[in-house]
Amino acid sequence: MNSSEPSPSTPVHVGQSRERVLILSLAILAGLFVVTAFLARQYHRSIHHLGDDWYAKGESSLKSRDAAAAIQDYRNALVYKPGDPTFEFHLAQALARSGRDELARSYFLTLLSASPGSGKLNLALARIAAQENSPASAVRYYHNAIYGVWEENPLSMRWQVRRELCQYLLDLGAVQEAQPDVIALAQEVSRSDYARQKITADLLLRAALWNRALDMYRSVLLADSRDHDALAGAGQAAFHLGRYGPARNYFDRLPRERREAPEIAGMAGLSSLIEEMNPLLPGLPASEQRKRADAILGVATARLENCAQQRGITLPGKPPLDPFQQIYSTGREMSRSWRRAADHASERAANAVSLAARMEEAASERCGAPQNRADQAVLLISQGSEGTSR
Amino acid sequence: MNLPDPSTSQPEKSRLAFVSRLLHQAHSAWQAWTRDIFVEREERLFLVLAIVIGAFSGLAVVCFHIAIDWIRILSLGSSLRPSFPRVILAPVIGGLAVALLTIYLFPRVRGSGVNQTKAAVYVWDGYIPFSTVIGKFVTCAVALGSGQSLGPEDPSLQMGAGIASKIGRTLHLSQRKLRLIAPVGAAAGLAAAFNAPISAVLFVIEEVIGTWSAGVLGAIILAAVSSVVTMRWFLGSAPLFRIPAVQAPRPVEFFAYAILGVVGGCVSLLFTKWVEYSRPKIQALPSWTRYVLPSAAGLAIGAIGIWMPQVMGVGYAIMDQALHGQFAWKLLLILALVKILTTGFSFLSGTPGGLFAPTLFIGAMLGGGIGAIEQHFVPGLNTSIGAFALVGMGTLFGGFLRVPITSVFMVIEVSGNYAAALPVMVSSLIAYLISRRYQSVPLFDILTRQDGLLLPSTEERREHVVILVEDAMRGNGAIVTRAAEPVADLVQRAAAREDAPLLLCVRPGEWRLLDREDLQRQVADPAGATTAGDIKSRGPLPILFPDEPIDEALRWVGDWLILPVVSRADLGRIEGVLSLSDILKVLHKAAKD
Repeated sequence: MNSSEPSPSTPVHVGQSRERVLILSLAILAGLFVVTAFLARQYHRSIHHLGDDWYAKGESSLKSRDAAAAIQDYRNALVYKPGDPTFEFHLAQALARSGRDELARSYFLTLLSASPGSGKLNLALARIAAQENSPASAVRYYHNAIYGVWEENPLSMRWQVRRELCQYLLDLGAVQEAQPDVIALAQEVSRSDYARQKITADLLLRAALWNRALDMYRSVLLADSRDHDALAGAGQAAFHLGRYGPARNYFDRLPRERREAPEIAGMAGLSSLIEEMNPLLPGLPASEQRKRADAILGVATARLENCAQQRGITLPGKPPLDPFQQIYSTGREMSRSWRRAADHASERAANAVSLAARMEEAASERCGAPQNRADQAVLLISQGSEGTSR
Repeated sequence: MNLPDPSTSQPEKSRLAFVSRLLHQAHSAWQAWTRDIFVEREERLFLVLAIVIGAFSGLAVVCFHIAIDWIRILSLGSSLRPSFPRVILAPVIGGLAVALLTIYLFPRVRGSGVNQTKAAVYVWDGYIPFSTVIGKFVTCAVALGSGQSLGPEDPSLQMGAGIASKIGRTLHLSQRKLRLIAPVGAAAGLAAAFNAPISAVLFVIEEVIGTWSAGVLGAIILAAVSSVVTMRWFLGSAPLFRIPAVQAPRPVEFFAYAILGVVGGCVSLLFTKWVEYSRPKIQALPSWTRYVLPSAAGLAIGAIGIWMPQVMGVGYAIMDQALHGQFAWKLLLILALVKILTTGFSFLSGTPGGLFAPTLFIGAMLGGGIGAIEQHFVPGLNTSIGAFALVGMGTLFGGFLRVPITSVFMVIEVSGNYAAALPVMVSSLIAYLISRRYQSVPLFDILTRQDGLLLPSTEERREHVVILVEDAMRGNGAIVTRAAEPVADLVQRAAAREDAPLLLCVRPGEWRLLDREDLQRQVADPAGATTAGDIKSRGPLPILFPDEPIDEALRWVGDWLILPVVSRADLGRIEGVLSLSDILKVLHKAAKD
């Protein structure tokens, strides 16, 4: 131990010695600063490389759908670049993909607190909320994402997010809630972007916005009149609008295999049947009108009789007490009156459609939805006539 | 200085003369300043040195940090989950290297840096050999880099202290300053390691020096700031942990933190008792075991690390994950428990390294785990797991290291959020009280006593009851007279209490002692004094106040039979009197208690 050795003799000597030592210390300090700066630079460089390497590994793991490996890789990357928002974002995405939604959300929320307007973070949170079946949060985050900040292709990204939101709502069956966003989506589609027009038309169709859907499909067909999806969609839209002629037209232009798809085939068949049965079609000769009126009344009466038999209701009832019996009596009365007097053909057709509709509805109430195509056609004809009269 | 060229013109000459005068004056001023700094005013030199020491310590900590990380990457690989052969081999080989280094090259690096710094202050006149600095750097970098479960803060503290000691000795500082310079360096080292200057200053004051000494406080602060600035220059200003947002707790949530305090106190106690019990037993093993103990600890840690690599090494990245709620409660509690084991293995094996980081690790895991359990049973508890982990860090710091003030400030400093202050105050205080209640000697004192030193315990000193003048004084121990009192009256009163000394109050604040014999003489003499003020007296007496420490009285009481204790509100009103026998009586009683 030599710390308590006597200091040099004179104060001046001590001062000079201290001055020299201090200056020497400062010189050593400066030298060490340079050395440390060099070391620190090398260190930071290697650390950054390691971070980037692990990040790249994480990306490739994620591409090969190995979310667990990707999580570990991203975590390793974050050791070398702690707090890097890109790494954290990808880690959170990997966590979400591996089903660890809670943890993923906590990462996303932390990132969101740093950049609350971020579109991609809100979208990620919306997807987690959607996965966790909390529609209110999902819709809120989707809307935040739509109105949020997107660094690349903001218009396109917003459109994509809105499309995802519409799909999510329609998948949930929330058609009414989806409609404003589907309409907004349609308004944001350029006239020349047929791919997006097709996507939007599909969503419009699912959102029961038939008119807009038909217009959009027509626009697509202007560019490519053989686009099968557009033809099918336009046919469906026209069918739902009660425009069975154009619907049949669109369906007829589809290739056979497409036309035979159950849904299309059903609609196409019904459209043809309606075209054949509808007494209210404009331009029909009076005799044809009368014939069709008789026919649809006959179809409806037969269904009523069938249903009454199933339910044990006697037809005709005397006196007709049951609503079933009353409608049946009215039908028979109407048929008798037609035989007695030669009435106006169009009036007969209208009355026949109206009564047939009542019969079908009464039968549907007791015996369920009609299975027979002809009955379905009668109902649709009556709905069409109601729509026309309105 | 160059002489002017004879060929130069007159204005040129005068300009040169002016410059020469200026340089001469500057030189004189420099000489005066350096004389002032280096010879006459050592306090100023001490402050300048504090900045230099801080810069050196900061650089040392930066290099230390880099060395640990590089060794870790080289030995364990860059993944958080090291591959199988590495996870076992690295700590075993690292342990062997550390054992050989400590036995053959750096025998003084074993043990706690805090205690060695304290020993330097109280025993070795501020002397810490510079080889200890190099030894700590090398051995701790190898140990921590190879996965031993210890921390870099305590070695950083000692490296700072060693650097300061070396600079102080080289500058031939006075012995008094040499003793104080080690804590200055210690604060610098710790501040840089923690990136938390306030906590470092408080820790050194709370644990190393033990008192708020004005003589060293300024230097400690300057050194801490200087080291942190240097460290941030190279490693960036990001805090040690990225703390998630902490909300101010609702009143009911304090109960949740109180429970954490109770658990933290019990865990601290358990850990301390284990170290206290096991360390002497391991030290008593044959000397050849010193070669294998660090490797054996490394083997145990490596074996655990196959399943739980999180407990290996310093663990800052894992703490960061816990603070961000990335572990389930079961894993958090298991990690806390396993970290206690691994830290115990490393520390008890004699591997150099600190206990700060493991304490924070255990606290974070324990806090997060307890918080998650409480959230499970109390659904309305909105506090995040991260907040519990943060408070847990402070709790263990308070309970295990027994530094309650530092723990609170450390949490504030690393979180940058005052909302965490109240919970950590509650939790840390409870842990501290539990630990103190069932473990009278704090950890650092246990270690020094086991090493055969009896350093002053800062906790005992902190809790030492100061004996005041009012504890020793006698309320009615003297006859007090005023200058105007007739002698006859005074004589009468003096006769009633023959043993009581006579105190004369000349005016408020001026008290004198009367001699009974003089008083008798005045009575016997017909031409004698008529009032007390006329009697010959001794004084003025030093006056004392009731709230002053007894040490103050000891400075004067030897010269006087008795000292007056007066009221601070009225210097003419006596509260009591104090004699040497009164002081001795109360000191004797305190010693017996």
